[in-house]
Amino acid sequence: MGTIVTLVVNGLAQGALIFLMASGLSIILGMMGVINFAHGTLFLWGGYMYVWSYYAIRLRVVMAWFEAAVPVTRFGNILTIQGVQLPPGETLPFLAELAIFVAALVIAVGFVFVMGLVFEKLFINRVYGRVPAQILITLGIQVVFTDIVRVIWGPNPFPIDRPPFLNGVSTIGTARIVHYNVFLILVGLVIAVIIHRILTKSRIGMVIRAGLQSPDHVRAIGINIKRYFTIVFAAGAALAGLGGALYMPLVGNVVSTAGMSNQILAFIVVVVGGLGSFMGSFLGSIFLGLMGVGIAMTVPGLSVVANVLIMALVLMFRPNGLFGLAVSRAD
Amino acid sequence: MGSNVRLSFDKKPELPKLIALAALITVFLVIPQFMRNTQLIMMSRIFILAVYGMSYDILRGYTGFINLGQAIFFGSGVYMGVIFLNMQNDLWFFMMAAGSIFVASVIGGYVMSKIVLRTGGVVAAAMVTLALGEIVRNIAERWRTVTGGQDGLPLRFSRVALEPLFTTRLGAYYFAFVFLIVMTFALRAFVLSPTGRVLQAIRENEQRARFLGYDTQKYKTIALIVSSVAAGFSGLVFAVIVRFANTDYLSITYTLNALLITLVGGTGTLYGSILGSAFVTWIQNFLLDLNRSLGWDILRYPMLFVGSLYILLVIFMPAGLLGGFFQLKNWWDRKRLSRATDNTPEA
Repeated sequence: MGTIVTLVVNGLAQGALIFLMASGLSIILGMMGVINFAHGTLFLWGGYMYVWSYYAIRLRVVMAWFEAAVPVTRFGNILTIQGVQLPPGETLPFLAELAIFVAALVIAVGFVFVMGLVFEKLFINRVYGRVPAQILITLGIQVVFTDIVRVIWGPNPFPIDRPPFLNGVSTIGTARIVHYNVFLILVGLVIAVIIHRILTKSRIGMVIRAGLQSPDHVRAIGINIKRYFTIVFAAGAALAGLGGALYMPLVGNVVSTAGMSNQILAFIVVVVGGLGSFMGSFLGSIFLGLMGVGIAMTVPGLSVVANVLIMALVLMFRPNGLFGLAVSRAD
Repeated sequence: MGSNVRLSFDKKPELPKLIALAALITVFLVIPQFMRNTQLIMMSRIFILAVYGMSYDILRGYTGFINLGQAIFFGSGVYMGVIFLNMQNDLWFFMMAAGSIFVASVIGGYVMSKIVLRTGGVVAAAMVTLALGEIVRNIAERWRTVTGGQDGLPLRFSRVALEPLFTTRLGAYYFAFVFLIVMTFALRAFVLSPTGRVLQAIRENEQRARFLGYDTQKYKTIALIVSSVAAGFSGLVFAVIVRFANTDYLSITYTLNALLITLVGGTGTLYGSILGSAFVTWIQNFLLDLNRSLGWDILRYPMLFVGSLYILLVIFMPAGLLGGFFQLKNWWDRKRLSRATDNTPEA
């Protein structure tokens, strides 16, 4: 029983993380008809920006707080990431740690949001309605910006720590609950509710849904639909950035290939959940997260191919997604 | 989709063209005598990657289907070539490798078409093929006993492959050149065949082709299989030249190479791939040389430059360098023409 609870929590946490990634992709695809192959790069930038700013801020705060603190090993290339050793027995107060964590998240997500704005203005703008060109151009962006990460922070992987206040493990009965996983599930749920509200209740959701059906009418009543598209794209990017920022502390190891591998996971979710459907990507993420943990537990050898196998089967037998939720617009 | 520039396949080759072609082939048969080894290797790579580019063009240029897993077939070709030639380095094992690659590519292409073509959408197809490619690369990286993992798999026996046939880089050059000529004629024949014509009809208007009674799925499957076999063969010959297999050849990097080659040469032109391959290979070689002499850190990431070039091409010259050149020329001609008419004094 305890193992099952542990597994379910782990699976849901994985699912929440995949959801952050997949929902942005799915919203952009469903609302704008744009397929973003650079999503993994935005994820990666979110992760690296988070790690870099978290460590940079924490180093300065700790050095100012304790005279006896010593900086420890550094990683990176042009920009470096340097840990800090607190004096024995000392800790930063909870609020300070929380503030550092939140500040790093805000910097990461804000940076990726701006990247999204720039990408939309520079590249995506030119290829609305031309799916092959979208694939080619975003794929190029993916490759170039992933290599820029390697130039800035170096190509080698390096280990990082979780924020101390999220680092614990609780034992309830026989179940081991990793606090960070619970945190991820909560973030995923909150984000899901917010997005759902925005899509169904807010003005921006209304405008975009209207803009899809009849852009001319929307423009005729004086709404700048292009600006809305820019914002939606950047918001999708920011979601990927948040996913990346929360992913790095989870795995505890920063690798520049994480962007591509997580992008593929998000693609699988989008296909399994039904192209362009927000609800589908929500359910698909949970499904994939739970399945991944289950397979890693029972048949670890299969875990690499299982996801792709699922996607292939879904495409062959249920092209509208496992839940039949595909948005027809998304081609 | 499809480009505005298409080299005409319809006309029968005329005598001047044939003479020009013969002259060109003669030049390429003679010049290697005056080349250094590094240049010979580069030329051989250009020839082989041109075939790889053509294999991609059959798909993207003639059916509009974007396969982001093309490197699976190319990389598998390289691996199978190295594995077979490591057993015994002679022509028989080369032929056996070719046979196995043929069978594997046909099966692989068929399976891929079953997964990908069912939904019909370009988006789903691109997403799935990208995922398939990454998974295959991932498996190759883990399957160390066969593939050597991340260290790669070198050709063990000799300095140059296929002992009885050639023992020098010069021989490998001629081998690659003959391979290019044979594959060009074979793929040209395919494009000109009734099947190829139907594919072009599908590219122009799939719905219409379907209404005319063609089973478009079947034709696309054929195109995918032909493309994967050609990619596999080019991988095999590539193994003879580079004498090394690693997971890079299976990765998205090599799919992007194919995309870039067809983009530079212009999609749907087939021959454009030769030009594209020359350009892309030369640029990558140039960056490597520059890295060797300058030692700049940033030059260790050739994809940074190649990828940027690729983005610029997609934005500004979707018809390829050749196509872009013709567009410029058209624009210039029109401008000159209009200026000429402006200047004519009115009677």
